[in-house]
Amino acid sequence: MKDTARQFCMPHRFFLFLFFGIGIGTVSLAQVHDIILVNGHLIDAKNGLNEPMDVAILDGKISKIAKKILPEEGKRVIDVHGLIISPGLIDPHTHVYVGEKPRTFSGGSSSVSPDDFTFRSGVTTVVDAGTSGWRNFEDFKASVIDVSQTRVLAFLNIAGGGMQGNPAQEDITDMNPEITAQLIANYPQYLVGVKIGHYAGKDWTPFDRALEAANLANVPLLVECHLPGYSLADQLERMRPGDILSHTYENIRDREPIIDSLEKLLPEVKAAKVRGVLFDVSHGGAGFWFDQAIPALRQGLTPDTFGTDLHRFSMNSGMKNFANVLSKFMAMGMSLEAVLTQASWKTAEAIKQEDIGHLSVEAVADIAIFRLRDGAFGFVDSAGQRINGKQLLETELTIRAGRVVYDLNGLSASPYHNN
Amino acid sequence: MLHFNTIYKGTVQLVLTGAFIFLNAVSSSLSAQEIDILLKGGHVIDPKNGIDAVMDVGIANRKIHQVAANIPANQAKQVIDVTGLYVTPGLIDMHVHVFHGTEDMSYIADGHTSLPPDGFTFRSGVTTVVDAGSSGWRNFRLFKDQTIDRSQTRILAFLNIVGTGMYGRFEEQDVSDMNPTMTAHMITRLFPEVLVGIKSAHFWGGFTQVDLAVEAGTLANVPVMVDFGEHQPPNSIEDLFMKHLRPGDIFTHTYSYGPANRETVVNEDLQVKPFIFEAQKRGIIFDVGHGGGAFSFRQAIPSLQQGFLPDVISSDLHKDSMNGAFKDMANLLSKFMNMGMSLSDVILRSTWKPAQVLSREDLGHLSVGTEADIAVFSLREGKFGFQDIRRTKIEGTQKLEAELTIRAGRIMWDLNGISAPHWETELGKK
Repeated sequence: MKDTARQFCMPHRFFLFLFFGIGIGTVSLAQVHDIILVNGHLIDAKNGLNEPMDVAILDGKISKIAKKILPEEGKRVIDVHGLIISPGLIDPHTHVYVGEKPRTFSGGSSSVSPDDFTFRSGVTTVVDAGTSGWRNFEDFKASVIDVSQTRVLAFLNIAGGGMQGNPAQEDITDMNPEITAQLIANYPQYLVGVKIGHYAGKDWTPFDRALEAANLANVPLLVECHLPGYSLADQLERMRPGDILSHTYENIRDREPIIDSLEKLLPEVKAAKVRGVLFDVSHGGAGFWFDQAIPALRQGLTPDTFGTDLHRFSMNSGMKNFANVLSKFMAMGMSLEAVLTQASWKTAEAIKQEDIGHLSVEAVADIAIFRLRDGAFGFVDSAGQRINGKQLLETELTIRAGRVVYDLNGLSASPYHNN
Repeated sequence: MLHFNTIYKGTVQLVLTGAFIFLNAVSSSLSAQEIDILLKGGHVIDPKNGIDAVMDVGIANRKIHQVAANIPANQAKQVIDVTGLYVTPGLIDMHVHVFHGTEDMSYIADGHTSLPPDGFTFRSGVTTVVDAGSSGWRNFRLFKDQTIDRSQTRILAFLNIVGTGMYGRFEEQDVSDMNPTMTAHMITRLFPEVLVGIKSAHFWGGFTQVDLAVEAGTLANVPVMVDFGEHQPPNSIEDLFMKHLRPGDIFTHTYSYGPANRETVVNEDLQVKPFIFEAQKRGIIFDVGHGGGAFSFRQAIPSLQQGFLPDVISSDLHKDSMNGAFKDMANLLSKFMNMGMSLSDVILRSTWKPAQVLSREDLGHLSVGTEADIAVFSLREGKFGFQDIRRTKIEGTQKLEAELTIRAGRIMWDLNGISAPHWETELGKK
């Protein structure tokens, strides 16, 4: 009886083992993921992760996040030991409606082409800051958005022709809230907000129309700095929670600074922050000053988003690239986790694009992988002044919708052999 | 009389005081203000002038003013400490595509595959690029108006033998639009300052296009650059070098590997073909033109090991190469260093050598009196990887990083703010 039972049980167990063993073997041989990133440190604010995690990608989407994913499960395994894995970063303030017109942003050579700058600094999404308006957005879409690998979103300028220069961009009769809101409704997958940027007068009609368009379309309003006729206090008072003030740390004639002569943050700025108005860096060529940023950060006004204000005249200045701007804020005291949190998930929330900016399973696989370099680095502001820092984010690998689009040191490549 | 004397004395005093002030001003301008920018303490590599040593470089009036050891700091308005860094002539990238535009039907001529140069050049130490035939005589003026005249980078160009340049692979086959006379006229009569040669590329037939390009090159007395690789089966490159090209003409994409439609310089046994050495001796110029598909270690490494070096190291910068294995000129030069070339050798092949090939001997060196185009590099030590277009990589320990780039005496790029004061110095806090 005993023996019989044993005789029965043994082969049974054996077959059970064989059955499951083959099953597991088949799964692993099937290589369920296209790419697995192993041995990296994941910082994914939306999912509350700041720890070592492996990340797998299948069909352009995140397929698995776990402490350990077996290499056999992937067609390709990329070892990112010692590196930081982040959701692909979002630059919420760029000018990328590049074209042939001289000395012009909309369809002109003052704008730049996004792919030239994005992937090499870990950015997978840019938001154009109102370079186009309702009259030329479709041209912008055809000539740039549709031919770029970078995801390009946009704020629509309340001026019908966008940033076409003066006097056209200040023509109140071409600021139409209904048509602006209608175009946003027509292109919800691209258009994330309304922008008011260039108006020299004191008449509040342009600002009010931009707000009206933003209300009609239920999107945020982006307020640029070239509005010298309006006081900063008046602008902030009109802005709703979720609206975005650009060029936060700027110290130029066109916009009052946020810091007073005693290095104190203005009370109206503090009040707006408490009320939920968002503050973007919009570094640009002239938009970032240590004499504003350093006192502001000390008094708690850290940026909500890290817009670079990328364009032809900022690209080679103290701005340089998105990773450099983040490193600059780290040199001013912000933590790595804080800058990556703001530059991914918080920016996605600010532009109401909550499908990006995180690495949840099933989310699009837009991923940035950074090395945190140690050394002696310098960071420059728009006044031509420098601070020193000890760390620099360097982009090692960028993945857009599951494809490796930038690989600085060949982490994803195989060693060359002379054969 | 007394009165007169007093006036006289006073006048003399005034004149003397004036002269003293004037002389003082002159002497101070000679000592303290003579040099606008002084790069102090760097290691200068200037192959044309045979300099490979620690030297100071003074810039005045946008030109190289002095290159010498220990130029006193008090002779300069601005002193930049470049100790531990390498100071070289601004790089010349001899093969790029920068005729950027939004013409739907086109790819490189006025199209999306080209890109505006300034976002790539200064951040990798380049001050001059040479567009490799993106435009032809029919659309060069548009290119000049749209890109060349608006860029801070110096842009020279090879004119395509095809009238419409690189509009489309299809249009590039039109032999009836390859006009040596018009091409030569545009170079010699209209734009001799900008047009430095002729490009032949992307042709599916035999030697017809190359021969027409050489005819134009002879008429205009400029070199021809050939991209010779879309023939099935491949045309003979030995015939190209020995029978069709002239000494001084340029073969680009030297290390390309695609044996089905392009004859390679290295054979399947990884040996450099003997006639390649002969061709180089004959004066054929071999250009890297890395690009998105034209650089393979299986070609480059055996070549370097067997003593066949590229004459010119260039990028073939365009939309489809920028984010691939190429990345930027500093990365490309580093790749060659990690394959065994010396720093001074890669600098030679990206400064003075291309200047000679293009007969632009005003460029590519730091001689006194030349326009001050300068690159300052740090040489990072560490563990780096360098790739080819077949997704294989080599490891390396050195990498050039562009710290400071000066174009015609103006600072265009300053990676770490070495030319900037610390922000608190203005406030007196430091």
